[in-house]
Amino acid sequence: MRLVSNLDLLVIGGGPAGLSSAIEAAKNGLTVLVVDEGVSSGGQLVKQTHKFFGNESFFASVRGFEISRRLTEQLNSLDSARIQNESSVVAIYPDGILVHDMRNDHTSLLKPKKIVLATGASERFIQFENNDLPGVYGAGAVQTLMNQFGILPGRSVLMIGSGNIGLIVSYQLLQAGVEVRAILEASNRIGGYQVHADKVRRVGIPILLQHTILRAIGEESVRGAVISKLDERWSPISGTERELVVDTICIAVGLLPSIELAAQAGCEMKYVQELGGYVPLRDEDMRTSIDDIFIAGDAAGIEEATTAMIEGQIAGLAVVSDLTKNSIQERLKYLKDTLRKFRSGPTSSKTRAGLSKLGSKFEEVSFTNGNQNDFTKYTGKMRPLIECFEAIPCNPCETSCPAGAISIGDNINSRPIIDYSKCTGCGICATTCPGLAIFMFRENKDGTCSVGIPYEFLPLPAEGQYVTALGRNGEAICKAKVEKVVKSANKTNLVYISVLREYASDVRHILVPSKESGAMVCRCEEVTVDQVRKAIKEGYTDFEELRRYLRIGMGPCGGRTCRLNTLMILSEETGVPVERLSPGVFRPPSIPVSFKALGEGRVDGYEE
Amino acid sequence: MERIFKHPLISFKRGEIITFFFEGRELSAYTGETIAAALHANGIKDLRYSPIRNRPQGLFCAIGKCSSCLMEVDGKPNVRTCITPVKPGMIVRRQHGRGEISE
Repeated sequence: MRLVSNLDLLVIGGGPAGLSSAIEAAKNGLTVLVVDEGVSSGGQLVKQTHKFFGNESFFASVRGFEISRRLTEQLNSLDSARIQNESSVVAIYPDGILVHDMRNDHTSLLKPKKIVLATGASERFIQFENNDLPGVYGAGAVQTLMNQFGILPGRSVLMIGSGNIGLIVSYQLLQAGVEVRAILEASNRIGGYQVHADKVRRVGIPILLQHTILRAIGEESVRGAVISKLDERWSPISGTERELVVDTICIAVGLLPSIELAAQAGCEMKYVQELGGYVPLRDEDMRTSIDDIFIAGDAAGIEEATTAMIEGQIAGLAVVSDLTKNSIQERLKYLKDTLRKFRSGPTSSKTRAGLSKLGSKFEEVSFTNGNQNDFTKYTGKMRPLIECFEAIPCNPCETSCPAGAISIGDNINSRPIIDYSKCTGCGICATTCPGLAIFMFRENKDGTCSVGIPYEFLPLPAEGQYVTALGRNGEAICKAKVEKVVKSANKTNLVYISVLREYASDVRHILVPSKESGAMVCRCEEVTVDQVRKAIKEGYTDFEELRRYLRIGMGPCGGRTCRLNTLMILSEETGVPVERLSPGVFRPPSIPVSFKALGEGRVDGYEE
Repeated sequence: MERIFKHPLISFKRGEIITFFFEGRELSAYTGETIAAALHANGIKDLRYSPIRNRPQGLFCAIGKCSSCLMEVDGKPNVRTCITPVKPGMIVRRQHGRGEISE
């Protein structure tokens, strides 16, 4: 064992809270060591692919893995800070902190002046039969496999829980090409933000309220699941059981603060259900009942990454205040104000209730409800339709608008107010919105509407291509032609489609027809969809040409089976409506007939 | 299961291809992957058998916080394979029970 001293601050955990506190401390000249178990730092941020809510100074609208990269880079640029990965804290003893370096399998005893515990959270585990089968994962594990290492967890997933994590991971599974059969929610309402729920609904994932899983099916790994409806008392209703064929069950029913080290160190603990379980008592500086130990992030109570970063910065600055004479009080006050505002909305009521039990006080704050009453006054102008109906702490629409047409105001929980007279219709707000809740809209003179849809899937459709326009619940509404595709650096691309005006208010997503299909179009000559598409690309853009080239329609059925299908593919690929395409020649014989029958034929009315 | 090569948001930066051994079979992986991730990519989900009821267990939390992925690595039992990087030539076995030291 080695003894290490002269360390001002030891940060345990290199996630958003830990990195943020280390950065603040190191910026003020303190020597800081961050110890983290992962192969890379960033905590759970490394596998978050969605754009974050929140405000600009805390990476709003930046994707999680990018935030993790920036925080790590920032910390590494500071001379007095260091990150040690693949290392676990085994124990906090009165005479030092025992760290296990897993790379070299040796331990060190550290004696820092101060500690920030940023140990994060662990997955809540629910009880059902066979819940320990391989193929039953916590949501975080699915994200690790899929988003950090690029490995599919399975082919078909049942999601348990409709909180933000359940909703976000379901969407991410679909982005990775995995089917999500359903999201189950035991209560009678969706747990997460409405914008996240809207996203998964329009891609067609059903959210089954008042449903639970009864058991996983399988011997060596998951092959299916039995689910059931629940009554008002959350008891399964007999006779409503259903079996789903899935190879993956993903549990997203919440997180538990990882407080083992805090409790071990002797920090005074309290069970606060709203914060996820046992949490250490602490003051507004994030100081626990032990003077030299601070706590930040999910370990202090389950919330999300933005508040974790703010809490981390507060803890880091509180350490600076303890150990130096640097004047940081103003910044500390600013951070506390920001945190308070962030938590002032209706979606943070649970957090506020939990924190009140720890002695925090919250004043009533007002926030404004959104307003886009003028929308209809600007008919015919390309403009955003903001479907942000819930007061959530988020404002990238405001900060990204180059025309200053959108305002959230002082309280970040307020809903956007848009001034259409200033709007230029550029669509930047739609690509920036973390909730993908902004759509572009224009009524055209020919009775159609152009609808711009934020799209984060592959393949991207091509201009002129026909796609299926989907409604808010993923239902097919109509075929739509792609007008243009505006690619964005943040990979939220805008796909503008043209639909009849009567459908426009319902259309919120698109289904791009699969490009690879070995499915048969012509049974007689065994011609596949792929072959037809390929031929069209080679320049055979007429039914007669395709017939001669592929023999499609030349078989014994006389083209009954394949003619219209071929014309529809031709229409999709060329953008010419079926009614304007030539159907080709209809040639006899219309059914197979033998030469014998023809040879022995008679002409009606003539005797031989 | 398979690896993702085309993704709308992420470009995966993979390391070099290496090989390691699982239950005597030679499998390939990329450097930078954890042992558990590499096994998944090779279609192996059952990582150990539980000590009391002898039930198959797989990856559950993937961040070193549960005991579900403990395996025997290079003769050492109880290795958290979800946070341990795979190395060339590593010898990985399913752990049965509480694990035995078999250097």
